[in-house]
Amino acid sequence: MSKHIKIWHMILLLSLLLITTRFSLIYESVVLFTKFFLLLFKDFTWAFNQLNLQLADYFFSTITILLLPVLIIIARNKFRLPQLEVSFPSGTITILTFIFIYAPLITDTNPDFQKNIGVTKLLPPLSRVYMLKLKEPDAAADMKTKFLYQKNKVVKRSFDEQIIFADSLKENDSIIYYQKEKEFHIKRELLQEADGKLFEKRVFLFGTDEYGRDVFTRLIFGARISLFVGFGSVAITLIFGLFLGFLAGYFGGIIDSALNRIADMLMAFPIVFLIILILALFGNSLFAVILVLGYSGWMSLFKIVRSEVISIKNRDYFITAQMLGLPKRNLLFKEIMPVIAAPVLVNLIFQYGNVILAESALSYLGLGTGGMYPSWGAMIDSGQQYLTKAWWMIFPPGFALFITLFAANNIARKLSAYYNPLLKS
Amino acid sequence: MSNEILTLLIKRIAVSFLALFLLVSFLFVLLRISPGNPAQKYISPNFSPELIHQIEKSFNLDKPIITQYKTFLINLSKGELGISYTYRQPVLSVIKEFFPFTLFLFSTAIIIQICLSIILALTAVKRINGKLDKFLSRFTLMLYSTPSFVIGVLLIYIFAEKLGLLPTSGLKSFGIEKLPLHLQLADYINHLILPLATITLGGIAVYYKYLRENLENIYDQTFVLNLRAHGYSEKTITLKHVLPNAVNPLISVAGVEIGMLFSGALITEVIFGLPGMGRLTVQAILSRDFPLVIGCAFTAGVFVIISNLAADLLKAKIDKRLAKGMLN
Repeated sequence: MSKHIKIWHMILLLSLLLITTRFSLIYESVVLFTKFFLLLFKDFTWAFNQLNLQLADYFFSTITILLLPVLIIIARNKFRLPQLEVSFPSGTITILTFIFIYAPLITDTNPDFQKNIGVTKLLPPLSRVYMLKLKEPDAAADMKTKFLYQKNKVVKRSFDEQIIFADSLKENDSIIYYQKEKEFHIKRELLQEADGKLFEKRVFLFGTDEYGRDVFTRLIFGARISLFVGFGSVAITLIFGLFLGFLAGYFGGIIDSALNRIADMLMAFPIVFLIILILALFGNSLFAVILVLGYSGWMSLFKIVRSEVISIKNRDYFITAQMLGLPKRNLLFKEIMPVIAAPVLVNLIFQYGNVILAESALSYLGLGTGGMYPSWGAMIDSGQQYLTKAWWMIFPPGFALFITLFAANNIARKLSAYYNPLLKS
Repeated sequence: MSNEILTLLIKRIAVSFLALFLLVSFLFVLLRISPGNPAQKYISPNFSPELIHQIEKSFNLDKPIITQYKTFLINLSKGELGISYTYRQPVLSVIKEFFPFTLFLFSTAIIIQICLSIILALTAVKRINGKLDKFLSRFTLMLYSTPSFVIGVLLIYIFAEKLGLLPTSGLKSFGIEKLPLHLQLADYINHLILPLATITLGGIAVYYKYLRENLENIYDQTFVLNLRAHGYSEKTITLKHVLPNAVNPLISVAGVEIGMLFSGALITEVIFGLPGMGRLTVQAILSRDFPLVIGCAFTAGVFVIISNLAADLLKAKIDKRLAKGMLN
């Protein structure tokens, strides 16, 4: 890759690309947002009740995607991060973060959307089917109805009675379409016209799964789950590891040896069994998975923090700070944190990769986020049954997992080589 | 000296027992704070309150928690882990059926992993920073970044579905009992190639990385130069002097990795539908068979603790200096 491409170039390029390719959706979403904004003044409670997580997701991504190019140009010189050169790992992480934030704008269906399974199930990548759209009832003059109508246009739902998929199609005075050799008739007046045509072709970029759901959409939303679980668990690991490590290193004595012994035991135990056991006993949900994975990773961070704290404890500057009467909180954040930041960061990135791996393995075993959300591991699990018929159910999520983990491991290795140049030689 | 080793042995075993005790206590606490109680499986809402009370009493649930804990410990030490809901057999006998296979898979995998990584590391170290060396370090990092189930499914796709060389799952073909012994053996081996390849590929990266670094450092040391100056053949130097030094740290890595490998074996068994502990555990969890789940976790914990102990003792046996370090 060229030496002159920097992260901010890439972000700018990605955002402009997304804005141009999804312009109509973003436009409709802006219209929806203005309608929502006006309604907030007219009937606050009604409008506020309309706001759910999905709608907020659309609003947030629409507003930020429009601001992002401006912001990145203004802020590019103020931080070091956008000035980094693009390499394979940093580029991958940028793209993944971008997907994480703008998933609803990148995809054009809901990850759980399924309709006419007979037509759409197990379609290979890049296959096309005919898509007919039934006409929506005319919008009334009422503002609330207009808002709801606009909302249906923007927010993708997991069910949509308005859409019909068909294998093939004939145009007469009425439209004749075929679903698995079966013939159906529909009147022209009932269909919605788009660009002078009564039907369009829906392309499935990565094919569809056994329920006729779009693999590409699920892949994009699966990235959300993976990254979310990763961030959440790493945050919990950080809190546990930092706190316990400081406790053990600073106070020493019986707390130290007890915590150390427990950490040793947990490190020796096959952690997957532990995670599975806890999830089996307490039930598996997204937050249970995050909590358990975060908790199960604190040992190595604990060891690092503990040994660093023990070595810092006897340094002159630390003893001086102690004698000046700094409270313990400040000792931790002002004196110890800056020193241990580098090894902790490296450990956290390794941990991040491990957590994503563990989450996908749990989902593969059917113990992950409970089938509520599309997850890469669960996609591979369901794809294994259709290995002979549908390789596309396995390869995209497998490749996505590999790329993510490879990037995380690469970054962690590079960082540790950067912070410990002696280790490298 | 023998006295010292005895102290070490006793101390190390005591630590292992402490770990076991902590593990068991942890299991008990998990069981008690999880929603529901063990008697629930046997209670129907149609039962009268007296009957429910009687059932709970038969599970000792009316006794104080300390008594329950004591009973739990005594039962575990006797090997009474309860009765599996699905198999309708004592948990221990169910585990006895499934454990040998996992042990076999696991030990074969660890031997293959270590042998293969030694061979690879030796070839890579011959030309440091050569093409092969660079390729291998990149390739192993790639393997390390690929989840084992992705490797497994990929192998199935290539070798079983596309090339049709090997079977996709299971341990034996249908009706092989009628065949002569050597064909039966060939069938078993055929079924085990892909699972073993999956576990080995997943774990080889860690061993390779450590071994390569160790070998590189050791080849740089003066005693190797000295041996070379004395005209010993490269083969003797490698086999007699370099390898023993390089393998020693590997054992401690193996001790830590055993837990990981066990988890890897678990997932591999699920991918290939093999009759081992991993599949048993997952099935037990999915069917909410709690006595069996506890039994499986307990067995896995005991197994890992024992193998850690073995790794430590082996290390002390190879390097006497480490034994002294462990004593303190």
